[in-house]
Amino acid sequence: MNNRVFNPRATSQVRTLLILAAVNIIIMVALSFLSRTFLTYGNMTAVMMRMSELAMLAIAETIVIISGGFDLSVGATMALSGAVAGTLYVAGISFPVAFTIALAAGVAVGALNAFLVVALRLQPFIVTVATMSMVRSVVYALLKGNVLTEFPEGFLNLGYVYLLKIPVIFLIVAATAVLVIILLRRTIVGRRIFAIGANERTAFISGIHVKRIKFLVYCLAGLICALGGLLFTARIRAIIPDAGLNAPLEVITAVLIGGTLITGGKGSVIGSLLGILAMFLLVNGFNLLGLNPFWEVIILGIILIYVVGQESISRSFGALINRRKSDRPISTS
Amino acid sequence: MMRNNNSQTSIDASVRPTQGSWLRRFFQVREIPILLYIIIMMIVFSISINGFLAVKNFENISRQITTIGIVSVGMTLVILTGGIDLSVGAMLSFAINIGGQVIVQGWPIWIVYPFMLLLGLALGLINGFLVTRIAVPALIITLGTMNIYRGILMVITKGRYITPIPSAYSALGHGFVPFIIFAVILGLFIFITLRTRFGRNLFSIGGAEQSALYSGVPVRRYKMIVYVISGLLSALAGLILIGRSGFIQPQAGTGYELNAIAAVVIGGTSIFGGSGSVLGTFLGSVLMALILAGLTMLAVNPYWIGLITGVLIILAIAVDSLRALRK
Amino acid sequence: MISIEHVSKSFPGVQALDGVSFSIADGEVHGLVGENGAGKSTLIKILSGIYPDYVGNIRIDGKPSRFTSVHDAQNHGLATIFQELTVIQELSVAENIFLGREPVRLGGILDREAMRRRSTEVLEFLDAPLDPRTSVGKLSVANQQIVEICKALVLDSRIIIMDEPTSSLTEHEVRQLFLLIRRLRDKGITILYVSHKIEEIFEICDSVTVFRDGKHIGTMEKDRTTADEVIRMMVGRSLSTMFPPRTSSKGELLLSVRGLRRSGEFQDIDFDLYGGEIIGFAGLIGAGRTEVARAVFGATKLEAGEMTLYNRHSRPFRHPDQALSQGLAYLSEDRKGEGLMLQLTIRENMSLSILHKISRSLFIQSSKERELVSSFISKFKVKLSSMDQLVESLSGGNQQKIIISKLLLTEARVFIFDEPTRGIDVGAKYEIYKIMNDLTAEGKGIIFISSELPEVLGIADRIFCMREGRILKEFSRQDASPEAVMRVLLGGEAA
Repeated sequence: MNNRVFNPRATSQVRTLLILAAVNIIIMVALSFLSRTFLTYGNMTAVMMRMSELAMLAIAETIVIISGGFDLSVGATMALSGAVAGTLYVAGISFPVAFTIALAAGVAVGALNAFLVVALRLQPFIVTVATMSMVRSVVYALLKGNVLTEFPEGFLNLGYVYLLKIPVIFLIVAATAVLVIILLRRTIVGRRIFAIGANERTAFISGIHVKRIKFLVYCLAGLICALGGLLFTARIRAIIPDAGLNAPLEVITAVLIGGTLITGGKGSVIGSLLGILAMFLLVNGFNLLGLNPFWEVIILGIILIYVVGQESISRSFGALINRRKSDRPISTS
Repeated sequence: MMRNNNSQTSIDASVRPTQGSWLRRFFQVREIPILLYIIIMMIVFSISINGFLAVKNFENISRQITTIGIVSVGMTLVILTGGIDLSVGAMLSFAINIGGQVIVQGWPIWIVYPFMLLLGLALGLINGFLVTRIAVPALIITLGTMNIYRGILMVITKGRYITPIPSAYSALGHGFVPFIIFAVILGLFIFITLRTRFGRNLFSIGGAEQSALYSGVPVRRYKMIVYVISGLLSALAGLILIGRSGFIQPQAGTGYELNAIAAVVIGGTSIFGGSGSVLGTFLGSVLMALILAGLTMLAVNPYWIGLITGVLIILAIAVDSLRALRK
Repeated sequence: MISIEHVSKSFPGVQALDGVSFSIADGEVHGLVGENGAGKSTLIKILSGIYPDYVGNIRIDGKPSRFTSVHDAQNHGLATIFQELTVIQELSVAENIFLGREPVRLGGILDREAMRRRSTEVLEFLDAPLDPRTSVGKLSVANQQIVEICKALVLDSRIIIMDEPTSSLTEHEVRQLFLLIRRLRDKGITILYVSHKIEEIFEICDSVTVFRDGKHIGTMEKDRTTADEVIRMMVGRSLSTMFPPRTSSKGELLLSVRGLRRSGEFQDIDFDLYGGEIIGFAGLIGAGRTEVARAVFGATKLEAGEMTLYNRHSRPFRHPDQALSQGLAYLSEDRKGEGLMLQLTIRENMSLSILHKISRSLFIQSSKERELVSSFISKFKVKLSSMDQLVESLSGGNQQKIIISKLLLTEARVFIFDEPTRGIDVGAKYEIYKIMNDLTAEGKGIIFISSELPEVLGIADRIFCMREGRILKEFSRQDASPEAVMRVLLGGEAA
C-alpha cells in the first residue's frame, strides 16, 4: 500500500491556496513598484491592523461554513461586544469584568443562533438574518446611537502596543487563527465538524452528536466575533453602533474565495485569511494609486461567482458552444 | 359499466366539497392569520395611542411601504421559484444613478424613465442568466452581482449625489401617485400568480422542479423571467424613490433586500419556494410598517425595531417549518 | 401494442437490463413482476423517456419509438405514474391535471372554465368526485394518485405505466384503484402494471411478465399460470455457486429483543441473535425491517420493548453513539446518503467512529490512524492508490468495504447489515459474503437485511419473514425454500 502523501483533495485545496497567495504576492509586488510607501513597515502594519477584525470574523465564519451552516450575524455580534463592554465600563464595572461579559454576550448570540438552527431546525440563512437585525437593534439601544470613547488607559493603548515590533492586535489574531487551525485539523472535535459539513446523516449514523457539535460551532463563532469586536474597539479607540454593518458579505466572500465550500465539509482558515488579505491589498493598492476603491467590490463579486462556480462555468460554456453541433435530435427509429 | 355504490361512502371528507362551511374555508386561506395580526395590532395601537387612526399617520406609513413593497413583489416571485435575489437594492441604485447621469446631460424625462427601467431589466437579465446557467446557488450569485453592480455604479458616479433634479421627477413620488403605482403592481402580480399559466407554474417550479420539468414547464425560461421582473420592479421602485426624495444618491436602496425578504417571509411565503402569495407579502410589509409606526408613536426606542422584525421573521419561519414538518 | 426487442441497459458496474424482449398486447392490463434489482424500474424509465440511450428497439403499434424525454413520451401517448407522486401540493386538482399544458386565453391567462370542465369530465369518468378547485396538498395519497391518472388521461394517453401503485394505499383504496384500472382498460387503454405483489397481479392483470436479474424470464397469460410458478420464476436460480461455503456454530447469546414497537412502523418484534450466526430478515419494501434496525441501533426512538445486549440488560439506545460504544454497529442501506462522506478521504471516512481510539486526550494521532486504516485496507484488499484518496473515487464494492472496515474498527460484536450488497457487482458481492462468514467464524453475530431473497436464503442460518411491521414466521436454513418464504411475504401466512 502506498503511503506517499498523495491527497487529491489536499492538492486542489493547496492549489487554491497557492493561487490566492500568488495573487496576493503579485499585487504586493506591483504595488511596491507603483508606490514608494507601499512596502514600508508603517503601511504594512496599518494594513494588518485594519484587517484584524475582519480576519477574526472570517475565522469564525469559516468554522460555521465548514460545519455546513451559515452565519450572517457576525458583524452584529462584533458590534455587540464593543457596545456591551463600553456600556458596562461607563456604568462603573471594572474593565476585566466588562470584557468578560462582552465575550459572554458573543457566546450568547451564538447560542441563540444554535438554538434556532439546531433545536428548531430552521434554515441558517434566514435565522441569522433575523438574529443579525435583532442584535444590531440591541447595539443601537445600548449605545443610543452614540459613539463611545471613554476607556481605561491600558485598553486604549492596546491597539498600539507592540511586541517585538508587531502589533499585539495582530498577534492575537494570529494566535486565534493558529488555535482554530489546530482545532479543525488535529482534534477530534475538528474532524467531527468537517464530517457534519460533509454529510450530516452519515455523521449521525457514525455516532457523532451532531446537535452538540453544531451548538459548539455557533457559540465558538460568537465568541471569536466578540473578541474581534473588542480588538476593533481597541484599534479605533471608540465604539461605533454601525460597526461591522457591511461585514457579513465581505467576510463570506473572502471565505468562499479562500476555498471553503458553501455546502461545508471542506475549507481552510488560511484560505479565508488570504482572501481577506487580498481584499485589503486591493483597497490599499487602489488608494495608493488614486484609483476608485470600488473596483475592489466589482472584482470581488466576479471572483466570487467564478470561484464557486468554476467547474460549472467551464462546463456550461463548453456546452453552449457544443450545443450547435449536437442539436440534431436523437433519431426516433 | 356498473357503478359501484360502495365507492360513495368511502370517499374521504377532503374530497366532498365543503358545503356550508364557508367559515372553515375562510380560515384556511393562507393570508388570514396575518390579516388577523394586522387587525389585532391596529386595535391594540389605536387603543393605546391617541391619534393612531389619523389619516396623516397612515400617509406616513404608506409612503414608505410603496418603494420597499414594490421590490418585495419581485422578491416574492423569485422566492416562489425557490431562488432568492440579494441584488435588488443594488439594481435599484444602479438604475437610478446610472440612469441619472443623463438627467444632468439634459435628456428629457420621457427618455430617462424608460432608460432606467431598461437598466433594471438588463441587470435582472444578467442575474437570471447566471442563475439558470451556472450551478451555483442563487444566494451566491446575487451576492456577487450585488457587489458588482454597486461597485460599478460607485466607480461611475464617483460617490457623488445627483442634485438637484428637475421637478418633473417628483410627480412619481408625491400625492397618491406612489400608491396607485403600488396598487397596480400588486393587482397585476396577484392576478398573474393566480390566473396565468406563468404565475401558477412558478409554484410548480418551487415546489417540485423536476416534476415541473417533466411535465413540460419551461423551467429555465420562467426562472429567467422572474429575475428580470425583480430587476424591473427594483428600477420602478427607484423611480418613486427619487420622486420622493428629490435627489439621487449612490447609497440608495441599501438594506432593501433584507427588508424585502423579511416582508416575504412574514407574509407567509415559504423560503424554500413552492408556496406563498403576493398578497401575503403585501400584508407582511403592512404589518412591518404598522409596527414601526406604532412603536414610533409609543415613543418606544426606535432601536428596538430591528429586534421586533427579527422576532417576527423567526416566528414566521418557525410556523412555516412546523407546517412542513407535519406533512 | 408494444414490442420490446432485445433491450439492454447498463450502468457503471451493473447490467440493469440484459437483452429483454416481450410484447404487450393492445388494451390489456399487463403485469410486470420481479424482485428489487430485477430491472423493472429501468424498463419503466426507458419507456418513459428518462433514459433515451439504451441498446435495442421498442416499437409502439409497429412504429419504432425512442423517446428523448418525458415530454416526448407524453406527446406520443405514453404516461407514467411513478411510485413517488409528482403532483404539486400548492396547486389545485385542475392545475395539476393540466400542468405544463394549461389551456390559455389571450395573454397567457388560464382558461379556468375549460380546465374545470375537462377535469370534471375526466374525474367523472373515473367516478371520483373530487372538486377540481381543491388544493392537491389537502388530498389523501390515493386521491393524489387519482389526480395523476387524470393527468395521464387528459394527455390522451393510450399507454399508462403504473409503478408500484398500491404501495401507499389502504385495502379499500386498492379496490377502488382496480375499478379505475378496469374502466381504463375498457376504454382501450393499455396498462403496464409493475409490482412485486403477486396477489394483485393475479387479480387485475390479463397477462404477466417476469424479470429476474435484468433478464426476461417469461411472459404468460394469467389464466395459463399460477402464482407458484411465477414465484419460482422470480427467484429460481442456482444458489450453489453464488455463496461461499458456510459452517455455522451457535455461540453465546449476543442480543435479545422483546416486544419492540414504534407506531406506524413495526410492533411485537422478538428475536435472538447468537454468536457465530447470521440471521436474515426477508421482506418486501415497506415491511419495516430497516425501521427495526434503526430503532435497535438508536437512530430512532423505540416506543416500547426491551433489549438485552451481551447479557447485560440495556435500555434501548437513544443515540448511535451509545450503540457503537456498547458494541453494536449498523451498516446503512443508503450508502451514499448515510454511509459515506464523499468529499473526505478514505482515511477520514474509516476512522470516523473511532476517533477517541486514535487520539491522546483531544488530539488525533495521525500515525495511529494510518496504522489502523492500512491494516484494514490490506485485509480486505481494497484497490486504491492511497488512503488519502477521496472516497468517491472508489467503486461501489470498495466503498462498501471501507464502510464495513469502519464498523469493524469499532470492535463491535453485533452487526446489522442493511442491504449490504445493493448496487454492487457480483464479484464484490461474493467478497462481502466472505467477510460476513469470517466475522461469524470469529464468534460475532450478524443481522442481515436484504430484499434479494436468494441472498438471504444463501447466507442466513435463520430467516425471519417480515410484512407490514410484523415478524410472520421464522425459518431455519433447511426449511426455507424460495417459494415457501415468498408465500409468507406475499400471502400473509401466519407463523
